[in-house]
Amino acid sequence: MSGGIARGRLAEERKAWRKNHPHGFVAKPETLPDGSVNLMIWHCTIPGKAETDWEGGCYPLTIHFSEDYPSKPPKCKFPPGFFHPNVYPSGTVCLSILNEDSGWRPAITVKQILVGIQDLLDQPNPADPAQTEGYHMFIQDVLEYRKRVRLQSKQYPPLV
Amino acid sequence: MASEEHLSAIKGAKVLMVGAGGIGCELLKTLALSGFEDIHIIDMDTIEVSNLNRQFLFRQKHVGQSKAKVARDAVLRFRPHIKITPYHANVKDPEFNVDFFKQFNVVLNGLDNLDARRHVNRLCLASGVPLVESGTTGFLGQVTVHVKGKTECYECQSKPAPKTYPVCTITSTPTKFVHCIVWAKDLLFAKLFGNKNQENDLNVRSTDASSSSEHSEDVFERRAAEDVEQYGRRIYDHVFGYNIEVALRNEETWKNRNKPRPVYSKDVLPPKPVGQNGNKDKASNTGDPSSVSAMSSLGLKNPQDLWSLRENSEVFLEALRLFFSKREKEIGQLGFDKDDQLAVEFVTSAANIRAASFGIPLHSLFEAKGIAGNIVHAVATTNAIIAGLIVLEAIKVLQNDVKSYRMTYCLEHPSRKMLLMPVEPFEPNKSCYVCSETPLTLEINTHRSKLRDFVDKIVKEKLGMSLPLIMHGVALLYEVGDDLEEDEVANYAANLDKVLSELPSPVTGGTILTVEDLQQELKCSINIKHREEFDEEKEPDGMVLSGWTPALAAEKTKTLDNGPSSSNASQTVPLESEDNDEIEIILKDPEILAAGKKRKSSDVSVAVDPEIFSVTGAMLTKKKVEEDDSNNDIVMVDGKLDLNKKKRVQ
Repeated sequence: MSGGIARGRLAEERKAWRKNHPHGFVAKPETLPDGSVNLMIWHCTIPGKAETDWEGGCYPLTIHFSEDYPSKPPKCKFPPGFFHPNVYPSGTVCLSILNEDSGWRPAITVKQILVGIQDLLDQPNPADPAQTEGYHMFIQDVLEYRKRVRLQSKQYPPLV
Repeated sequence: MASEEHLSAIKGAKVLMVGAGGIGCELLKTLALSGFEDIHIIDMDTIEVSNLNRQFLFRQKHVGQSKAKVARDAVLRFRPHIKITPYHANVKDPEFNVDFFKQFNVVLNGLDNLDARRHVNRLCLASGVPLVESGTTGFLGQVTVHVKGKTECYECQSKPAPKTYPVCTITSTPTKFVHCIVWAKDLLFAKLFGNKNQENDLNVRSTDASSSSEHSEDVFERRAAEDVEQYGRRIYDHVFGYNIEVALRNEETWKNRNKPRPVYSKDVLPPKPVGQNGNKDKASNTGDPSSVSAMSSLGLKNPQDLWSLRENSEVFLEALRLFFSKREKEIGQLGFDKDDQLAVEFVTSAANIRAASFGIPLHSLFEAKGIAGNIVHAVATTNAIIAGLIVLEAIKVLQNDVKSYRMTYCLEHPSRKMLLMPVEPFEPNKSCYVCSETPLTLEINTHRSKLRDFVDKIVKEKLGMSLPLIMHGVALLYEVGDDLEEDEVANYAANLDKVLSELPSPVTGGTILTVEDLQQELKCSINIKHREEFDEEKEPDGMVLSGWTPALAAEKTKTLDNGPSSSNASQTVPLESEDNDEIEIILKDPEILAAGKKRKSSDVSVAVDPEIFSVTGAMLTKKKVEEDDSNNDIVMVDGKLDLNKKKRVQ
């Protein structure tokens, strides 16, 4: 199966991204050691917003598209254990626009997804917790939470 | 000429002109005088002296300046209130993307090359902006209208491959002067002065059998310590004497042909040219290698004179001598260039000597240059007429007057008392790979051909893409562009050198590749068919691209009555080419055009109007390839299209 609709859309996304994308972001199809480039999995980097505790970090995110994309949303994952109230322990991001039953629309672009996740970093949604540690800390001890976020930003230095 | 209705359509229109050359100058003037008030012009060229005779918005003082900008200033002097926005840039630049095109109501092409025409066609299709396309070649010209979904796109009709000649006609049995020119230019000149590594069929005959024992020596190499004069005469005697004798041995060849006569230098020239050297060098001691000329050192002045066999032989030896004495550094990397005086002299003389040998009439340097360089002289009046027709079509497009759209052909001789031949446009070709999504088929040896071959010969040359993305399913096999990161570039570079079947996602028989272009918004699918062997002569690329199923063959043809001879008009589709020296070049790249070979001449079932046919015929002889100047190419479509199978727009 050549991945008809998904493939066509991903090619469009790839071209659109190559032509224009927000500064500091990276998004590219996965390259395996044998040289194959797979449009179904994209390796991305989201920069933490300036003047937030996330600043200075470049957070790796992997987007997994399915054959049903774009009627179904892709799955977006940070590294397992990523510290954020709305990120599952597996690293999967919980965000309304990535939820087929709520905010996802086929017209949403990769750029919108990545910018949306960047916004989520500094604006967690306590109504939709996905991990205990991050959620509890955010609710109970904001100073400790922010310290933890700043610490995490140092774990993901920009790749120069 | 403009009615109230016209005027309102014109006044509100925002138009894009691509090209500010021969047609462009006329067009900008006509647009401005017709009431257009918002005109954008793109042209990457600067003004040259040779443009001035017909690109009348330019003056000598403007030489070297941007055509788009000077044209704007010139027109604003007599229409100061209108808005003209010039871009001194290549229309293929990324800034001219789909969004850029979308701001216009219509795009008007006055281009000089196929590549840019295709690019603009694709952007117009992608942005849904109507295109009025045009071209001239000498007295011939045409204007066509391309509106997505309504009329055929610029690429719905295949552009036929340029005339090529069978190798044996060129190497052994020439019957026309053009055969001798091709031999002199593509074989002899290339052999002596071009890259030694490239294949050359010059000695097809003399290298078989007899010479296999002495295979080590290349007769065309200058021997150590060999005097240039001796070397020249040895080459002369070899190609015009010995090779002809060898050819004559094959009785079979000459049964129904006139036998050629071997020509040896001693029969034509005095045995040893003594005492001439003194004045020869005096004439060509300017020091500038590009001004070296055999004609001037031999005192031959008029390029329109017909030289005798002896004069041709002298020019031949002198040109060869000058190459070796004045331009030695270039030997080994020269390609024929019609603007290279010495090269033209060499080719003219060699072609004439060969013509004499085969009993073919000789030609002057001027004529030979025209044939060798595929030159057609530009006619300012044709450009003016075509520009007027473009404006007429543009007004119809602005009023969405689909029924009145016409393709108009400007002919050299009246046909049924008409010099301008209007034809109703055709519907889109449903199997057009540009404006429809019909897959193409590529026969290729997947175990031998590399991705690079596919990219160069198919994606770039035939499909005309510049920034392709090649995909096998969801696997990206190739991308190119400045925006890619180093690791991506390295990865794709590695893929280029792999054979198709050994790519990370192996491409084998049955694979469907998808090829898109980053800028052009063009997409096409290519079905891969593995094939082991290819005919080196007929299929030199080692691959065959097809997919032009005969257009609408099964459907009923709805041809509107448009005058008895209208369909014949598309026998010729010349296109404007602006060259640097007030002449025009026909056709650049045989490969690009080969994509359309599908429509066979055997399909032609239209009665051919003899007058038009003669025009076509005359043009065909001139149609070939200009090799090295990517900006100055042009294409002509000849009559090998099956018009009966095409639908007119209703």
